[in-house]
Amino acid sequence: MRPQRKAGSGAARFLAPTVNSYKLHLAAVKSLVPDKVVPRPLDLQVSKGLTKDIAGDALRINPAKPENRLAALSGTRLAHSPALAFVGDLAGLEHAMLPPPAACGAVMGDLGPQSYRVHPRRLTQSAGAPGSQSNTSHVTAGDVITASALGFPCGGRSHDDYAALPERLDLDRSDSYQCFRRNCVSKHSPAGGRRGLEECPLLERVEKLRLLNLQHNRISCMRNLEHLRWLVFLDLHDNRISHLYGVSTLTSLRVLMLGKNRIQRICGLEKLTNLDVLDLHCNEIPRIENLSHLSELRVLNLAGNRISRVEGLRGLDSLAELNLRRNVISGVAEVDRLPCLRRLFLSSNCIGSFDDLACLGESGSLCELTLDGNPVAQETWYRQAALRCVPHLRTLDMKRITEEERRMACVLARKEDEKKRETHKQAVHKEKRRLAIRNAAQQWEELKACLDLPTQNGVKEEVSSEGSPTHSTAHTNGLAQDPSPDEPRRVSPLSAPDCPPGGSENRLRSSSRPNSPRDPRLSEAGGTSVQSLSLSDSHLAELDGEMLRLFGPGALEALERGWGVQTAGAVTTIAFRYISFDAIIPTLPRIRVKFPNLAHLVFLETNISRLPQLAALAQVKRLDQLTIHPEGNPVVGLALWRSFLLYRLHHFNLQKLNGVEVTMNDVIAAERLFGTLGHVATTKTPRCRLLLLLEESRKRQLQFLLEGRGRRAGPTPEEDGRQLGEGLSRALFNYPVRDPSGDGQEEGAVDASRRAELVQRYLCGLVQWAADTSIKGEALHKLWPSMFVEMVRDCVLDMRDRPAFRQASLSRLTHTK
Amino acid sequence: MLWFGLLSKRKSNTELIIFSPAAETNVLFYLNDAVTQLLEHKEEYIQFGVARYFAEYFSSVKNGNHVLFREFSYVKATPHNRASFLRIFWRCFRQIGKNGDLLAVLEYCSLLQLICPDYPPEMVQSAAKIVLIDDAMDCLVSFSDFLYAFQIQFYYGEFLESVSVIYQDLLSGKSPNTVIVPTSTSVEHLVSAVEDEASQEGVDSTLFTQCIMGLCERFKHSHPSPAAIRDILENTQRVSFYGFLIAMARNEKISQEIGALPSKSDLLIDPEMDQELERLIAQISISPTSNSSGSAAGLREPPRKASPRKSLHPRKRIEMESDGSTEETDSSEN
Repeated sequence: MRPQRKAGSGAARFLAPTVNSYKLHLAAVKSLVPDKVVPRPLDLQVSKGLTKDIAGDALRINPAKPENRLAALSGTRLAHSPALAFVGDLAGLEHAMLPPPAACGAVMGDLGPQSYRVHPRRLTQSAGAPGSQSNTSHVTAGDVITASALGFPCGGRSHDDYAALPERLDLDRSDSYQCFRRNCVSKHSPAGGRRGLEECPLLERVEKLRLLNLQHNRISCMRNLEHLRWLVFLDLHDNRISHLYGVSTLTSLRVLMLGKNRIQRICGLEKLTNLDVLDLHCNEIPRIENLSHLSELRVLNLAGNRISRVEGLRGLDSLAELNLRRNVISGVAEVDRLPCLRRLFLSSNCIGSFDDLACLGESGSLCELTLDGNPVAQETWYRQAALRCVPHLRTLDMKRITEEERRMACVLARKEDEKKRETHKQAVHKEKRRLAIRNAAQQWEELKACLDLPTQNGVKEEVSSEGSPTHSTAHTNGLAQDPSPDEPRRVSPLSAPDCPPGGSENRLRSSSRPNSPRDPRLSEAGGTSVQSLSLSDSHLAELDGEMLRLFGPGALEALERGWGVQTAGAVTTIAFRYISFDAIIPTLPRIRVKFPNLAHLVFLETNISRLPQLAALAQVKRLDQLTIHPEGNPVVGLALWRSFLLYRLHHFNLQKLNGVEVTMNDVIAAERLFGTLGHVATTKTPRCRLLLLLEESRKRQLQFLLEGRGRRAGPTPEEDGRQLGEGLSRALFNYPVRDPSGDGQEEGAVDASRRAELVQRYLCGLVQWAADTSIKGEALHKLWPSMFVEMVRDCVLDMRDRPAFRQASLSRLTHTK
Repeated sequence: MLWFGLLSKRKSNTELIIFSPAAETNVLFYLNDAVTQLLEHKEEYIQFGVARYFAEYFSSVKNGNHVLFREFSYVKATPHNRASFLRIFWRCFRQIGKNGDLLAVLEYCSLLQLICPDYPPEMVQSAAKIVLIDDAMDCLVSFSDFLYAFQIQFYYGEFLESVSVIYQDLLSGKSPNTVIVPTSTSVEHLVSAVEDEASQEGVDSTLFTQCIMGLCERFKHSHPSPAAIRDILENTQRVSFYGFLIAMARNEKISQEIGALPSKSDLLIDPEMDQELERLIAQISISPTSNSSGSAAGLREPPRKASPRKSLHPRKRIEMESDGSTEETDSSEN
């Protein structure tokens, strides 16, 4: 039988049993079989009656139920028995035959018309065999489905019995209609002829009709059905029905097949509370609505409609199967409100991500799902991801979930979690970083504001700020204007892009990189991740590949920390921002020691305002590039800054200054401007003064020279100055590092005052002494003439008596001998 | 006191060195400073030799080089120091003036701070005010304009302050607090005249001259000679304060009196220094610091325009192990 069924649609293969099971339903006139999935008591009177009948003896008449026409007829009509037999069989075989998930009410696929339709003629023919047999024992569990499916229409097709047994009525296609016309009374016989019915025939004497099959007709309006109160099964598959109004009174209806029609809206089903199966596939329904009262509904087929969103499903407490294939669904909601849902078909929709399916995870009962034909199914690890989304799943896209897959999903889930955590961590860190930088900027602003005021009176303090109103305004928006195009983040776009500064400055890669390392715009560090070294509320130090970035004064501490040889050796660029240059200066000599490969310094918002400050850079000893950003560094506004820097750092052989190549002309021009200054400074400054001005190593040099000179006493001071060299002339221009601690200054002040006192006293003594000497001298000068006269007179008197004088002298001589 | 005797000997020497009366009155000041410095940097100077130190100190005072790199309070302490500083400033930055660039006030301030690290920017501002007549402070100033204005401002700072007070007093119609003989009714008359003409700019130059002369008589700081002031104020009927200052700055006589700067026509001429500079530049061109071949070539042929200074060959990386070599890198500075 199966080969003859047209397997037109792709789903046909597995639709076959479904169709059969439908037929089975027809035969059973509502599930005689207690559904395991929906284990609610069978309340259908008919089925109860049938069951009871069958339970005892298939052929026995039960007179106690007069309303049961089966009972009335069973005794006389053997032809009827197959159905009963089948029913009975069903009752007996229910467990074997209807494994809960698979067969019962499985509206697999969308029941394409071909596959769904059972050709009547075929049915009739093949029904012959089982139909002629009254013995139910022939029906084995294996072919129950086929047998029953065939057996049932057989009952309907026995024309002889038809008038007497108006319980089923198959009016599909024209031929069956013709057939029907001959046997049954039909008031409204449409002209349809071969093409089938144009509208529902008004059926008389069939009030007890339970099954009505009107497939493949041209019915556009469900009329003339109101009186069929007992109707349990109504099949209007493949008609032209555009609305559902006609069925509202069929309260007993349990199965309503309206596939392949033109229905545009679900409505009018309010009274059909007993509905068990509702098939609306291949219609034009745009949304799911007006279904919430169908608490008995087990199967709902809405495949091939125009539904864009799964919703309106509340109240469908018994729904076990929901078919939504071939819609345009992009969002799934409320599925978790279906407590009995086991199978959900969402193939060929527009679901783009598992986020849209989040509510599936909430459903504890779902165990079968199809998602093929959705964009989401294109993803790698799709099955695993789906499994992670719906952990209870047993079958996905008709394939059983293997243990392997389950494990994989677990791993994947863990990975995802880790990634999420990592992302979160990164986001948090990013945010912290942003805050730190912002705070540093703010503090910087405040500092500037403070500095701007005292410059008026504080002689020693920052000189710069006045007269350069531009720079203060320039960096108020410093942070905002720095989008960072170079954040080497590979994280999802979920994390909001923040704006860390440092983007605008020239990112100069190391000179040791082989490929165009000096391109200032070569900013991308590839995969290098930014490593945060020190982070607080208001400062940040981070290492980005070869670049060390420091924000805020606190970040300078990062320079002090223990640096690994590797890490320190890798740093070629250090960028300072929001740090006062005067605070940086003390670290400069140490920087050179710490980072042997440092080749580039970047200063941004460091308040370098005067030329002498630039001299402090000499302490770095060696640099290839220097960038002093105009932003927050007023010195760049001066015309001479470049020349002075080149002059002062001549021995560095700077390659680039603010990203501009340094040429020989620049150097000579700088020398021309400042050479005299250096020369004068070297040759004219007193030696002793020079000693104080120079740093330790140079001082030794100078001392050596001085001592040499002392020994040889040869060269004139001028030549000596020349010997001291050009390096010296530059080295004279140092920027004094101020002692930041107030204590030292106070001590110094105390010292100085004590010293001044001492000097004062000493000088007083000196002056006194000099004055005394002078007075004595003057007195002597005054007395001298008279003293001289006296002395001469004494001599003359002594020598008046010559022999006596001679005698006395000789005796004095002998005495002394 | 080891060096007491030496000092006394030195003292007699200094008296021989003294060459100008202004310096003579300040002998004690220099002595004081010399001793203070000696105390402050005992170790260095004892090593250097105390006698040698004193000799060098006082000879540098004589040569006018003693103010180099000294603190501002010292630089402005004596007229001799001021004149010396002016001269040194001129010598050092003559080339910048020769370059012909107009520079901002801030720039001059920076230059001054190069030779006197704590030079207060306010002083520079006020000097610039003389050139720019008290407004448009962010304008650029030529070197010579600045230099002469700076000379006046720096050398006669106290005097100018007093004059400013007098000027303000005159402007507001008060009788200036000077030693003008009160009996002269003409002053009263003149003051009232000033009140009449209050709407006009400046003050009457005659009255102003009188007041300044009075000031000069009792002024203990240095001040320009009255003759020069008369020269300036003679020709005009009315004078404003900054007009007066500008005239002072431009007055050759006053500049000669100070004796620090050459006359305006000779301002940019200093052949000795030019010679030195040429030598320096030549040295740079062949100096071993510009180590690549490019620079040596650049010396012979005319300097190539915008040619890179040397090939950008990457500097050899220094490994951390050779860390102790800071001395080496240090010596590379030569």
